[in-house]
Amino acid sequence: MSSHREAPEISKDPVADSTDLYAFISPDAPSTVTLIANYVPLQPPDGGPNFFEFGDDVLYEILIDNDGDGQAEISYQFRFKTTINDANTFLYNTGPINSLNSPNWNRVQTYSLQRVDYPGGHVTNLGNNLPCPPCNIGPLSTPNYASGLAAAAIQSVGTGIQVFAGQRAEGFYVDLGSIFDLGNLRPLQQLHNTFMTGAVLTSMAGINATAGLNVHTLALQVPINQLTANGSTPSNPALASSCIGVWTTASRRKVKIHEGTPGNTVTTGPYVQVSRLGNPLINEVVIPMAKKDYWNAEAPAKDSQFASHYSNPELGQLLPILYTNPPNTPVAGMFPNLATYNAGSPNRADLVAILLTGIPAGVVAPNYSTFTGATQADLLRLNLAIPPVPNAAGHLVGNNLGILGGDVAGFPNGRRVFDDVVTIEIQCIAGATLPLVDPAYTADGAVSAITQGLTSSATDTTAKGTENYLGQFPYLGVANQGYAAA
Amino acid sequence: MSPFNRREFLKRGGAAVVAAGVVSAVPAALPAVAGAARPKSSDDEHDADVETGGQLDQPLVAHVRDLKTGEIGLFYGDHEVTYRDPKLAARIYRATR
Repeated sequence: MSSHREAPEISKDPVADSTDLYAFISPDAPSTVTLIANYVPLQPPDGGPNFFEFGDDVLYEILIDNDGDGQAEISYQFRFKTTINDANTFLYNTGPINSLNSPNWNRVQTYSLQRVDYPGGHVTNLGNNLPCPPCNIGPLSTPNYASGLAAAAIQSVGTGIQVFAGQRAEGFYVDLGSIFDLGNLRPLQQLHNTFMTGAVLTSMAGINATAGLNVHTLALQVPINQLTANGSTPSNPALASSCIGVWTTASRRKVKIHEGTPGNTVTTGPYVQVSRLGNPLINEVVIPMAKKDYWNAEAPAKDSQFASHYSNPELGQLLPILYTNPPNTPVAGMFPNLATYNAGSPNRADLVAILLTGIPAGVVAPNYSTFTGATQADLLRLNLAIPPVPNAAGHLVGNNLGILGGDVAGFPNGRRVFDDVVTIEIQCIAGATLPLVDPAYTADGAVSAITQGLTSSATDTTAKGTENYLGQFPYLGVANQGYAAA
Repeated sequence: MSPFNRREFLKRGGAAVVAAGVVSAVPAALPAVAGAARPKSSDDEHDADVETGGQLDQPLVAHVRDLKTGEIGLFYGDHEVTYRDPKLAARIYRATR
């Protein structure tokens, strides 16, 4: 998945496990950027009686690099506090929760939001005791959830900033079961070599493994000029200063002691980073297993140490092997050009540019760039001078293949909630973008056939109606309801 | 926070570190932080630094990392200080036996 349970240690610490990061110019408010960081993966909506929540002992951050050095100039910091109103009941709620201050809501979470500017560390307090909504339990517990609770939890803070923190519908769609069955990619599985087992695999549509699940979302909508180095709103997309890099981290105190009293813990010491996320799927499928938790703990500015995994990704080596000489079909391999390329000295400068430095102006188009500078850092880069695709009739519009579909406002220029990042990245790794840096290379014809099969077309911004995106902040759908869970 | 010196550490957490190699301080049982008397001339007279009646405002945890070098990690608030004192490390270790 994008970054769900992507590393061995963080997979055991869900409240600190970042799952997805989005950054895009708001289609319905184009003077602002929307930043979304999701945590707490794979929540079944009916997961009571202890429903999902953020960690009170976790420092969550959304970080911005606006000068290309791979380091944060801005950090938005979220800290949570849980209050139990009635310690003598096991119930999450003792009656219907009709409002965010309902006395029936027993386990309430609030948060503070600070902006920290670096260097210097100047702290601006943007809000205290901001309300999270409850989890979406059911018609008796959380009636009128969408407007009375979820929408009510959207707060205005600072100057022109909106913030939301709480449960939302998972927006990332992926055919998880196929990817991790040794690259048995639906709907192409009949072309898999099956490891010469003779297994007969029949093509079938992709399965959205995250449909109906929830996550916990940190979402900000911030005026563009509050994110740039000089306080301006960029208008020239060719300039590096028009691009920002975004990532999210979760950090825990270095020391935690479980005292004798159950549930009573002591934490102290500095915060240490245990999770981070910039580009989707990188720690998932690019970084080797033994380095995943180390990658999570490192700063993006140090990512040159991982560059060899980006320039020669294991998946790029595997694709021609897995899809060569399938035993039950006459197809003579899907990726012969990539196989030939791999047999040389592969150096995927295209992937390094997309993921570590940004794409310089003129490589894709004169006015397309995500380049932030020479510093290699895994950041989700967003060009603030490239306008978004406006909504139509209140609905999100765009090409879910982003730049591969000719939509310059989509991934890897930031990431919108509906971008099919799995298909985009697999196509890129399979060679779709290699001709950008190696004009002599011709991408295999099969590359464009790679799809998750989870959208009806490239302009499907609903993942076949499974994701319930909204046309306005915070764009991710209202949390799926427990009572209605399948 | 400025780095701890040995006297500060003993004043703040002496009672706690004697309890175990890695210990959470229990505020009510800890010596005073503010207003402590100046130390005697020898570090071995550390007990003279200990006053009663004070409280820690946050947990203080000591992690004896290496008895040979005496490296002790001190965790207090948002900070971590690496402190080296083989004798103190040895005393803490003995206190656990």
